[in-house]
Amino acid sequence: MMNVQLLISGVIFGLSIGSVYFLLAIGLSLCFGLMRIISMDQLLYYSVGAYLTYTIHVVTGNTWLGVLGGMITAGLVSFAVERFVFFRIYERDITFTMITSFGILFAGVGAIKYIWGLIPRPVPIPINAQVLILGTEVPVYRLIVVGISLLVYLGIWLFLNRTITGKAIRAGIEDVEHVEGLGINVYGLFTITFIIAGSLSGLAGGLHASLIMVDPQMGLEVLAFVFMVVIIGGLGSIKGTLASAFIVGQVISLGSLVYAPLAQMAPFATMLLILLIKPTGLYGSRLLKR
Amino acid sequence: MVKVFKWWWGILLAFFLLALVRVFLPLPFANEIMIFSIYTMGCSFLLGRVGFISFGQPAYLAVGAYATAFYLFYFGTNPYIGILLGILAGLVVSAIIGTFFVRLRSDYFALVNLALAVIIFYLMEKVLAKITHGDNGLWFLANMSSTPVLDLGKPSHFFVFSFLVALALWAFYKYLDDTIYGACCLATKTNEDKLKFLGYSNFRIRWMAFIIANATTALAGSLYAVYLGFVSPAITHPARAADPVVVTILGGVGTLYGPIVGAIAYTGMKDLLSGFIANWELFIGLVLIFIMLAGEKGIWGTLEPILKKAFLKKNVSPGVQDSGEKRG
Repeated sequence: MMNVQLLISGVIFGLSIGSVYFLLAIGLSLCFGLMRIISMDQLLYYSVGAYLTYTIHVVTGNTWLGVLGGMITAGLVSFAVERFVFFRIYERDITFTMITSFGILFAGVGAIKYIWGLIPRPVPIPINAQVLILGTEVPVYRLIVVGISLLVYLGIWLFLNRTITGKAIRAGIEDVEHVEGLGINVYGLFTITFIIAGSLSGLAGGLHASLIMVDPQMGLEVLAFVFMVVIIGGLGSIKGTLASAFIVGQVISLGSLVYAPLAQMAPFATMLLILLIKPTGLYGSRLLKR
Repeated sequence: MVKVFKWWWGILLAFFLLALVRVFLPLPFANEIMIFSIYTMGCSFLLGRVGFISFGQPAYLAVGAYATAFYLFYFGTNPYIGILLGILAGLVVSAIIGTFFVRLRSDYFALVNLALAVIIFYLMEKVLAKITHGDNGLWFLANMSSTPVLDLGKPSHFFVFSFLVALALWAFYKYLDDTIYGACCLATKTNEDKLKFLGYSNFRIRWMAFIIANATTALAGSLYAVYLGFVSPAITHPARAADPVVVTILGGVGTLYGPIVGAIAYTGMKDLLSGFIANWELFIGLVLIFIMLAGEKGIWGTLEPILKKAFLKKNVSPGVQDSGEKRG
């Protein structure tokens, strides 16, 4: 019988990791659903958010302010990238945008190394308090991270279902040409979606910064895990992304309780299994055939 | 005779220039270029001919490298047998994995390959640490026996060997372009439904292409292993996952000489730039974006029509390009 206290802290750890992956993956998923691009540069906005959190923390001493600043800066950077690069290439096929976005990620990592240097930077956790759950001490900060990601899910859901812009985006995910035919400016929608995705990635970076060390390669390190979340959930599905993010989070943390080296391997085995059963992921639609 | 010469002249010219590289540049640099261009050839074939982009080539590189390393570290001493085993391992692994992977859509294919590279990285670094010695890697330079004609332990002999291997591979890929199979590969990229109507199996064509490309990559891996005399999980690190893709784009997608032009340019830039500034990624990334926005022809794709015009005095239609199709 596994130790209950270990199990509970493991579950909480998995939930918080899953939340960070969810915030990152939702941007990728939205970009794929609407614009049919695979935007690897979301990982750059994640690093930007984390580094801004570090810098603002050093200057003002407030981590929450840093997370906010990181989110806004990431949104601005993504806006600039969208204007200068993606705006020209939306029409191209998916391989093309994938390589270009990788170029942006690579250049961005180089720029971050140039600005902040190679040394990993620590960011302190803003809330050190612990709370008792079933006799186990659980860090409050991790619970807050989970809460924020659930709020974001709720917000995105309300935005997509209750506002005109959101409804237009949802219609665009179904069929872009018809939306354009209705006289809606789809490129405006693309820009809005890209900025939302970029800011959420920045938010993920800011929240994750306190849990790990901030270093230039951090984007490339989570790259594989985030794509795994997106693949398991199904490209273009938000509900699927939420479900798969928490599945992957739990598989990582509970897998490491069973056998430590399993932590990084188990999610991939899960992914291969799911792809064998359902090649489009859990909630991926069959419509998006090549 | 003339026809044969026409078929070969391009390759021979390219390799004559390559031999000059050996004369003018330091040996480690030349060896690096040879291995890197073999490494890129597989990726270039997949991307340019079959339309599959793979961010997981390091996975197959590691398969070849570790097959060679296990043989040379634990069992034998002959580097040639090690290289053969590396190719064999590449064939077997890609034949098994290919059956699952080539059925996926091209976007999923890229991501699943990336995931495979990460799996193999952790497999080699953590799970099999007892056999692979984890991050310390396997050192077997002293285990390799010297072989009679070409002694692979010596860098200068190694260059001749890798040169010949690259030449053979080039001829093979050029031959493949002229066959019906090569035409089928292009067809499965441009219009798979039509190919199906003609009675071909898309799955089998892609599966074959996957095996050919990744056996080439595994060969490059075992060449790395023999050349360096040492293998560590670092060769399959996720941060290096896109190297072959970058080189393919740099050289020119789908062109026959793209891989070597790209390999020279990439290795050269890396060596030159890291002397001046510590972060060459910024530069490589910007070059990549520029090439993509400027029409994704790459260095060779831009040079080829100009050179042909200058030497052959006639206009030639540009080679097979990934001419960004509008999505339907």
